Amino acid sequence: MAGLNEDAQWIVLMGFLVSFGLFFLGMLLNQSVIVGQTTAEGVLDFPKNDIRDVNDVIIRSVMLKSTGNITQGQYQTLHDDITIISLSRKKAVVDFTPTWPNPPLDNHTYIQYHYNNGVTEYNEYWTSS
Amino acid sequence: MVDERGQLYTIEGISAALIMLVSAYLVVNATSVYTPGDTHISDMQLEQLGTDALRMMNTPVNATANSTLQDILYYNNGSAFNTTFLNYVNNMTGSKIDNYPQGLHYNATVTYYDIANKTTGSLPLAYYKYNLTGGEHPVRVTEWVIVNKAFPGGGGTSVKPRAVLVEVLLWRD
Repeated sequence: MAGLNEDAQWIVLMGFLVSFGLFFLGMLLNQSVIVGQTTAEGVLDFPKNDIRDVNDVIIRSVMLKSTGNITQGQYQTLHDDITIISLSRKKAVVDFTPTWPNPPLDNHTYIQYHYNNGVTEYNEYWTSS
Repeated sequence: MVDERGQLYTIEGISAALIMLVSAYLVVNATSVYTPGDTHISDMQLEQLGTDALRMMNTPVNATANSTLQDILYYNNGSAFNTTFLNYVNNMTGSKIDNYPQGLHYNATVTYYDIANKTTGSLPLAYYKYNLTGGEHPVRVTEWVIVNKAFPGGGGTSVKPRAVLVEVLLWRD
């Protein structure tokens, strides 16, 4: 086979590289859709407003008792209202345990509270100013 | 005489051009990948709007005063809720008359714990412009309120204050 040379080997190698490149870009395109979806779902699933809301009412109810505006029995009613309504209407397990101020040793109120709606779990230890 | 040596070079050139086109397409589109989750963004905005309105209504002017929402629940004043809530969610720059109505509808209820029957109950508070018919796609926004008032099944009028949940279904038509 006179006249046959092997110059084309580089060209075939380039062909391979090009096809791998295309394959890689296809994988990138495929994954970019999934990345966007999981990000959006993560934002949607996080119950930001629910946590803020229940956080707010827990602090208000504990501080009512802590400042002497309501009795222990009235505080217990509020505690039951918050935990039971959270479970039935918000599908979230909420519980909180306050540590009352002990003057003159310590004038602060502390609250250990928990929030769990089955997807997101949130715990906080709150200290009054 | 026609020479065929250039064929593979031509194919390679075309492949390279295609790759560059696809790369440019990917780069341009990378900032706006549309996913099924994005369809809920308008819902999230509506939810934030309603939550903010309720939070403003439940913020007292000072530490000893009652919030607007506490007074509304205490006197069961549905028309005051309607006025204040619609004012907050429809509020925007410019004349109020120009912006009215914005097509926002809501249905507000109050959920309380019935101590005697060990269940939760709901009382209607207010709605605009009509009740839910079932075809709408509402979002639910809520606000906890501590109100100095007895609720049904509360074991007498002395069991107060109570923590209740104001639930608002909010939708746009």
